[in-house]
Amino acid sequence: MIYVGDAGQERIVDAAAGETVMSAAVKNGVPGIIGECGGNASCATCHVWVRDEFLHLVGTPGETEEDLLDMGVDDRRDGSRLGCQIALSDELDGLTVDVPPAQL
Amino acid sequence: MLRADINELLTQTGPKTPMGELFRQYWMPACLAEELPEDGCPPIRLKLLSERLVAFRDSYGNYGLIDEFCAHRGASLWFGRNEEGGLRCPYHGWKYDTTGQCLDVPSEADNSSFAANVKLTSYPLVKIGDVLWTYMGDPATQPPLPEFEFALVPPEHTYTSKRWQQSNWLQAFEGGIDSSHVTFLHSGGLKTDPLFKGAKGNEYNLNDTKPFFEVADSDGGLFVGARRNAEDGKYYWRITPWVMPNFTMVPPRGDHPIHGHFWVPIDDENCWAYSFDNHPVRPLTREERQAMIDGHGVHSENIPGTYRPVANMDNDYLMDREAQKRGEYYSGIKGIAIQDSSLQESMGPIVDRTKERLVPADSGIIKARAKLRKAALALRDQGITPPGVDPAHHHVRSAAVVLPQREAFLDAARDDVKVKPGMPVASV
Ligand code: FES
Ligand code: FES
Ligand SMILES: [Fe+2]
Repeated sequence: MIYVGDAGQERIVDAAAGETVMSAAVKNGVPGIIGECGGNASCATCHVWVRDEFLHLVGTPGETEEDLLDMGVDDRRDGSRLGCQIALSDELDGLTVDVPPAQL
Repeated sequence: MLRADINELLTQTGPKTPMGELFRQYWMPACLAEELPEDGCPPIRLKLLSERLVAFRDSYGNYGLIDEFCAHRGASLWFGRNEEGGLRCPYHGWKYDTTGQCLDVPSEADNSSFAANVKLTSYPLVKIGDVLWTYMGDPATQPPLPEFEFALVPPEHTYTSKRWQQSNWLQAFEGGIDSSHVTFLHSGGLKTDPLFKGAKGNEYNLNDTKPFFEVADSDGGLFVGARRNAEDGKYYWRITPWVMPNFTMVPPRGDHPIHGHFWVPIDDENCWAYSFDNHPVRPLTREERQAMIDGHGVHSENIPGTYRPVANMDNDYLMDREAQKRGEYYSGIKGIAIQDSSLQESMGPIVDRTKERLVPADSGIIKARAKLRKAALALRDQGITPPGVDPAHHHVRSAAVVLPQREAFLDAARDDVKVKPGMPVASV
């Protein structure tokens, strides 16, 4: 899984199925992804922008996630998701997300 | 965190603001009935949703809520003379009835139609229970009168008080759906307050400081469930209903009266906290009523002749560090209501929510904000009537129940959170 920072630098992280975009980042110290609420869709400190080519694979936000993206992040875009709500799977191999600069 | 623009949206309730328009869809407490105790009594000043108004009861017993300022040259009608059938401005004698209609302009000729063309803004004012209710929106969409249980039970079964809170309504309201603070801030009161103590549920409350929260939609708003461990593989659930936009109930304790609040914006930096207690089955005992008058339970001891608490911002809420150390009052502040107001006012008049850090225990608050925002925008953009306007949505109760672990709280307690007139509350 690949996290892209504001200057385009890539962090490539090996993550097992069952991890989330948030937990894999936190374990590997990826800057800008904090996961303060432990993955409960409450804090929005795990906000990422999923690259277009993966959007159809990650699905759409649930209701709680939707509320938080709507109200709790400054720069919502089409690919905005809470990292803690995306469970990794073999299908998502190579998943690439941008870390919003405001979080860095 | 909450985006700055949404914080503004949710906290501003003046005329023509989206939240202001939302509030103007509902009947809401304007004042207590005791403030206008008899026909022809002195008028009172009040500010609601940032509008300055005067409430009065005319010589025939009609209630009225009208613009505070005289249509002539703007004197405050609080100085008015409550005469036969209307309030007369003492400056040049213009007189108004309870609908704001000008009845008399003494300087004009007797046959002049001048007065007939002068009318002040006015809102209906209706007594139900201990409260005078108003509706400040478009008369064309005025809903039927409210049907909250506390206002409909016989007078001996209910008591309502109010207190001025020096903060925006939203941070006061958020305390009303935030069950996770009870174990800390109010822990002293659970053991000693005459209106709380002695219930079995209090033990569950105090023994499990890490409740799990679940939120479920209701027709008029939300049910916020706080789950704590009970014995034998069961859970103790405290269920807090919220009826949009600003009515909350506290889950009951034992056979104590059941209570709750209305959080009414005065302006963007002040609100009224209305606090009520009622018992659906029996009259309040003399001791209970006296405890409420003395400011126990959810009520406050106010400065005589005012609705400002004795313990307030100017005296640091009578902070008692020794009591804090002893654990008698967790925060060192006496009384449930003041424990809440002290901390909510300490955040500043409008708390900057871009700086907050929310945790799963705040899920009720996150959901409530989302619902308020959606309702305000749906009203503004599509004219959609928000939840909670329909009086059928008012028929909710809080509950405190022990349920089997595998049952979803609202499925298991669906019946317990409905008003059943004259029937007991579901409470342990
Ligand atoms: S970790 Fe808090 S919302 Fe994802
Ligand atoms: S200002 Fe009221 S009558 Fe002149
Ligand atoms: Fe409280």
